[in-house]
Amino acid sequence: MDPGGKKGTMTPQAQNPSPRPERGHKSSKHKKRKRKNKKGDMEELKKEVVMDDHKLTLEELSAKYSVDLTKGHSPQKAKEILIRDGPNTLTPPPTTPEWIKFCKQLFGGFSLLLWTGAGLCFIAYGIQKYFHEDAMKDNLYLGIVLSVVVIITGCFSYYQEAKSSKIMESFKNMVPQQALVIRGGEKMQINVEDVVLGDLVEVKGGDRIPADLRLISAQGCKVDNSSLTGESEPQSRFPDFTHENPLETRNICFFSTNCVEGTARGIVIATGDDTVMGRIATLTSGLTVGKTPIAAEIEHFIHLITAVAIFLGVTFFGLSLILGYGWLEAVIFLIGIIVANVPEGLLATVTVCLTLTAKRMARKNCLVKNLEAVETLGSTSTICSDKTGTLTQNRMTVAHLWFDRTVYEADTSEDQTGRIFAKGSDTWFILARIAGLCNRADFKANQETLPVPKRATTGDASESALLKFIEQMYSPVSEMREKNPKVAEIPFNSTNKYQMSIHLREGSSQTHMLLMKGAPERILQFCSTFLLNGKEYPLDDEMKEAFQNAYLELGGLGERVLGFCFLNLPSSFSKGFQFNTDEINFPMDNLCFVGLISMIDPPRAAVADAVSKCRSAGIKVIMVTGDHPITAKAIAGVGIISEGSETVEDVAARLRIPVSQVDARAVKAIVVHGSELKDLNSEQLDQILKNHSEIVFARTSPQQKLIIVEGCQRLGAIVAVTGDGVNDSPALKKADIGIAMGITGSDVSKQAADMILLDDNFASIVTGVEEGRLIFDNLKKSIAYTLTSNIPEITPFLMFIVLGIPLPLGTITILCIDLGTDMLPAISLAYESAESDIMKRLPRNAQTDNLVNHRLIGMAYGQIGMIQALAGFFTYFVILAENGFKPIDLLGIRLEWEDRYLNNLEDSYGQQWTYEQRKVLEFTCQTAFFVSIVIVQWADLIICKTRRNSIFQQGMKNKILIFGILEETLLATFLSYTPGMDVALRMYPLKIMWWLCAAPYSVLIFVYDETRRYIIRQRPGGWLERETYY
Amino acid sequence: MVIQKEKKSCGQVVEEWKEFVWNPRTHQFMGRTGTSWAFILLFYLVFYGFLTAMFTLTMWVMLQTVSDHTPKYQDRLATPGLMIRPKTENLDVIVNVSDTESWDQHVQKLNKFLEPYNDSIQAQKNDVCRPGRYYEQPDNGVLNYPKRACQFNRTQLGDCSGIRDPTHYGYSTGQPCVFIKMNRVINFFAGANQSMNVTCAGKRDEDAENLGNFVMFPANGNIDLMYFPYYGKKFHVNYTQPLVAVKFLNVTPNVEVNVECRINAANIATDDERDKFAGRVAFKLRINKT
Repeated sequence: MDPGGKKGTMTPQAQNPSPRPERGHKSSKHKKRKRKNKKGDMEELKKEVVMDDHKLTLEELSAKYSVDLTKGHSPQKAKEILIRDGPNTLTPPPTTPEWIKFCKQLFGGFSLLLWTGAGLCFIAYGIQKYFHEDAMKDNLYLGIVLSVVVIITGCFSYYQEAKSSKIMESFKNMVPQQALVIRGGEKMQINVEDVVLGDLVEVKGGDRIPADLRLISAQGCKVDNSSLTGESEPQSRFPDFTHENPLETRNICFFSTNCVEGTARGIVIATGDDTVMGRIATLTSGLTVGKTPIAAEIEHFIHLITAVAIFLGVTFFGLSLILGYGWLEAVIFLIGIIVANVPEGLLATVTVCLTLTAKRMARKNCLVKNLEAVETLGSTSTICSDKTGTLTQNRMTVAHLWFDRTVYEADTSEDQTGRIFAKGSDTWFILARIAGLCNRADFKANQETLPVPKRATTGDASESALLKFIEQMYSPVSEMREKNPKVAEIPFNSTNKYQMSIHLREGSSQTHMLLMKGAPERILQFCSTFLLNGKEYPLDDEMKEAFQNAYLELGGLGERVLGFCFLNLPSSFSKGFQFNTDEINFPMDNLCFVGLISMIDPPRAAVADAVSKCRSAGIKVIMVTGDHPITAKAIAGVGIISEGSETVEDVAARLRIPVSQVDARAVKAIVVHGSELKDLNSEQLDQILKNHSEIVFARTSPQQKLIIVEGCQRLGAIVAVTGDGVNDSPALKKADIGIAMGITGSDVSKQAADMILLDDNFASIVTGVEEGRLIFDNLKKSIAYTLTSNIPEITPFLMFIVLGIPLPLGTITILCIDLGTDMLPAISLAYESAESDIMKRLPRNAQTDNLVNHRLIGMAYGQIGMIQALAGFFTYFVILAENGFKPIDLLGIRLEWEDRYLNNLEDSYGQQWTYEQRKVLEFTCQTAFFVSIVIVQWADLIICKTRRNSIFQQGMKNKILIFGILEETLLATFLSYTPGMDVALRMYPLKIMWWLCAAPYSVLIFVYDETRRYIIRQRPGGWLERETYY
Repeated sequence: MVIQKEKKSCGQVVEEWKEFVWNPRTHQFMGRTGTSWAFILLFYLVFYGFLTAMFTLTMWVMLQTVSDHTPKYQDRLATPGLMIRPKTENLDVIVNVSDTESWDQHVQKLNKFLEPYNDSIQAQKNDVCRPGRYYEQPDNGVLNYPKRACQFNRTQLGDCSGIRDPTHYGYSTGQPCVFIKMNRVINFFAGANQSMNVTCAGKRDEDAENLGNFVMFPANGNIDLMYFPYYGKKFHVNYTQPLVAVKFLNVTPNVEVNVECRINAANIATDDERDKFAGRVAFKLRINKT
C-alpha cells in the first residue's frame, strides 16, 4: 500500500495513520509474562521484538554485519556464518516422534479403561492360577482379547491420523525456494536455507522474502504482509526509516512475506527462528493445548462407568462374602464384575464413528487432523474468524463505480458473471479506457483458457482488479493498449498520490491523451471540468458536493476509492513529441474529471449465508482481523454485524451526541480497535465479549488474537478460530479447534490448526458444525445402544454368584456380543439422520450437556437393560426346564454343577447328568442367552434411533442400520449353527423355539420406549423428560 | 482445554463429597431432594414391579408347558454316563491298608449307599421281575402311577455286598470293592433288548499289569434289562438302580493304577472324545501297603 495515499483515500476516518498493533503487542506480552511462567525460551519469545537495524544508517549497518554493501559477504565468510548460525529455516515444531503418537493412541482416554480391565483380568487369572492348577482360562482369554482390541483400535486410529497428516505433508512446498544473493560481488542463486546473516539479497516482484531484510535500495517495491499482519493491501518498501517500530517501518521486509512488485536490495538482519515470523511460529508451537471437548466427555463417561462398575463390584463383593464365599473367590468375583462393566466394543465403535464423520467431512472439504476434533466444531459456541482469505475472496475486486452522478454496483461474486450497466454512456467508455490504459498491471502469459477472474496478474492488487474488470466489462485490455501505445508515464508514488500516463490516441489524429488516476481528492484538484453522459461541463460546487458525497459513501463502505480524469492534449503535442516526466513539458491542469471506481476484497458469496446459519445455530461469530476497522466493518456486513445493528459510533452519529454518552450496553455491535484492546484488562475484555453479540476486532496483533481467544474460553465458550496467516497461528493453536485454510493458508497456520478447509470457504465450517453436532447426537445413541447390552451381560454373573445357578452367559458369548453382533449396529447409528434441525438449536453447554449422563445410564442400565436381562434369563430358564432342570432346582446348584468329577448330577426328573453333558447344556443356554440379547438388541437399536421422535416419524431410511440388523442376526445364526462352533467357541445349535423366547421382551422394549418418547413429546419439560431424556 | 482446572485440595474434595451426599441448602441427598427421590423410586418400583410381573407370567406360562412326567428334550442325554461308588473328590480310591481311617470314610459311604439295597427293603418295596426283558409299564391312556420297580438285592453283590463282612468290602485287606452304576435316563432302553455288561481294564498296559485279577458281581458284570426303562423320580418312586461291583483281588501295592470300566451295550457309545464319562468311567486305584 502506498503510505498515506491510497490508504488515506479509503475514508476520512481511516486517516489516522497510527494503527499500532505493536504497542498492544507489547502490553499483551507483558500481561502474558505475568500470567504464565514457562521456560526461558517462551519468555524470550513474548518479549518485544528488539531490533534497531531499521534505524541504522547504511554505514552503521555495514559495520554491524561487517559486510560490504555492494559486494556482500565473501563466499568463505558466508559459509562460516552458516555453520555458526545454522540454516535459514524455521525449526519445525517439535514433532512428536511417531512411536509417542502411537503410544498416545494406545494409552489415551478410553483405551486406559480397557487396559485397566485387561490388567485386572490378568491379575484375576494369576490369582486363580496360583491357587488352582487347572484354573479356568476365561480371565486370561478376556484379558488377551481386551488387549488385542485396544491395540487394534489404537493402530486403526493411528493409521487414520497418519493418513491425515500425510495429506498435510503434501501441502508443504517441496520445491526448495531460491534466493538471489550477492556474495563476493557476484550475484548467485542459492537455496533459501543457505542465506546467512548479513547477506546482501535482491528480491523482485513474485519472490518470497528469504529472511528479515533491511532494505538498502528499492525500486517500486511492494510487499504483501498479509500473512504476518493481516493487512490485505500490499505495502510499499523503501530504504528510509519511517517508524520507530520495526513492524511498521517501511525499510524492513519480513521473512516469508511476498514481494508483489518492484525490486529491492537489502541486508539480512535475521534468519530462521530469529525472524519475526520465526518468533511467532515458535510461540505457537510452545503453546499448550488442552483436551478436546469429546475427550473431556469421554473422560466423564469413563468416570461414570467406573463408578457404576466399582459400585456393583463392591456391592456384590460384600454380598458374596455374606453368602459364604471365600475371600479369594470374592476377589475374583469383584474383578470379574468390574471387568464385565467395561464396554469392550465401545472404543472401536466411537473410533469408527468419528472416522466415518471425518471422512464425510473431508469429502465436504473439511480435513480433520485429529479425530477427536471432528466433534469439536459441533460444540463450538464462538467462532473467531479471520477476515482476509476466510471471509473474503482475498482478491481486490471492483465493487462500485461512480460516474454520470450515479453509483453503479459491480458484481463482486466469485464467478463474476458480468452485469450490464450504463454501457451506453460515453463516460463509461472513457472511464474504462483510463482504467485499462493508465494501469501497469498485466495478465501473466498462457492463461487464455482461464476465466478472467481466475487469471494471475502481475502488479498491484487494485490495478489488477481494474485490469480484470475492464477485460471483462469492456474489451480486451491488450488490444486497447496496442491501439493506444504508452508514450510517457509517471508511476504512482506516495507524494504525488496519482499515476499518469500519456498515450497515443486511436485513429489518425496523431494526438495524445493524458490519463490520470489516483487519490480522488488529489485528482479533483487537477480538474476544472467534469464529464456527464459524455459531455464536458465546468466543475461547479454542486458537482463537487456530489463528488464528496460519493467519495464518502464509497469510502464508508470500506472500499478503496480511485479517481479518474483525462485530458486530450492539444495537437501541438502530436506524435513524436518527447514528453519529459521529470521536467514537465506538457499541460497537466484543467483536466476533465470522469468518475470514481472503488474496490474491495469482497466477501465470499457463501459467507453471508454461512454466518447467518451459524447465528441461528447459536454460534457467535467474531471477526478478528489485522486489517483496518473500516474495511473490517464493511466486510462484517456479511452478517457478523447484522443489518439492523449499530455500533456505539453509529448510534452517536445518528443521535448526534458524543460517543461517550451512548449507553454501550444497549448496543449489540462493537468494533474494537487493536489500540483500544491493548488498554483493556481481562475483565473489560470479558465485558465486551459478554455484552455484545456482534463483535469485530480490527488491527489486532497475533498476541491479541490469542488474548481474544483466551477471553472467550474464560467465559466458558468453546472457540473455533479460522485463519490463514502466520499471525493467526498462536490463536489457531490456542483455540479448541483451529481451522486453517488449505489453499491460502501458510504452513505455520496449517501446522497449528486442527482442521483444514480445503476450499478455503467459510461455508464449509457450517458443514463441520452440522456434522459435529450430528455425530455428538449419534454417539449418544450409539453409546446408549452399546451400554444397554452391558446389563444382560453382567447380571448373569451376578446371579451366578448370588443364586448359585449355572452361569447363564460366559465370557466368550459376551465378547461375541460386544465385539461381534453389537458392533455394526452401533456403528450404523452414526449414519442416522438428525431428528430435528440441529442447526436451529443452541450449541451444547459443555458443562451440563454431557455425552453420557446419568439419564442415559439410567435408561440403558436401569430400564432397557433390565428388560433385556429378563429376556435372556427367561430363555435360559426355558432351556434348562425343557431339558430337565426346573428353575427351583437350579438355585444353589453351582458347586455340584461345577464339580468335574460329579458325573451323576440329578435333575428335576431324577435323570443323572455327567459333567460334560450338563456343560453342553450350559453352553447351549449361553448360546441362547446370546441369541436373546441379539433379539432384544433389535428393538434396542430401533428405539435408539431416536431420542425424542417416534420411529414412525424418523422412518427406517438408514440402510446401514437395516444391514446392521441383518448382519447381527446372520452372525448369531452362524455362530450357533456352524458345525465345529461347539469346539471352537462352545456355542451350540438352538431349537427354533428358543429364538422366540426373547421376542415378547423385544416387543416390550419397543412399546415401552415408544410410550416413553410419546409422553416426552406430549409433555415437554415434564418429569419423564427430566429423568429419562438423555 | 478452556477452563483450567485448578487442582483441588483434599479438603475441598471431601467438602464437595459431603455436599453431594447431603446438601443442607437445597436439602438434597445425593443430588436429589426428598420428593425427587420419592418420584424416581416410585417410578422404578412401578417399572420393576411390572417387569417382575411380566417375568413371572412368562415363566408361569413356560412351566405350564413343561410336563411333570418327562422332560421335553433329552437329546443331551443320548449316552448315559457311568459313575463309581465310593465317590471321592477326584475319583481316586486310595486305601492305606494299615490306616483304618483312610478307608473308613469309604466304608461309611458305601454302607449308607447300599442300605436301600438290603434284601428286606427290596422285598418289601419292589417286585421280582422276569430277568432278560424290559419291565415296561405303559400308561395306556390311564396314568399308571406310581410305577413299580424291580428288586436289586444286596446279596446279588456277593463278596462285595458287605453283609457280615469283616473285611469291610475288602478295604481292610487291600482287596477293595468298587461299585459301578449307570446314570438314570428317563425312557431309555439300555442295551436295545440285548444283554449288556460292564467290563473293567487298566487304562494302559502297565495299568493292566498292576491291576491284577478282579471279580465282578453280578457275575460277568451283567446289568439286567429288567431295570429299564426308568420313568422318572416322580413316577418311579422306589426305582432301584442296578449296580455292578468289582472286587480287585491283587492290585500291585503302592502304585497308582488307572482303571477304566465301560458298559458294553448295543445302544451306548463309549467313545465320546469330550465326555470321558459317557458309557464309561475312569478312576484311580491305589493300595498302600507297608
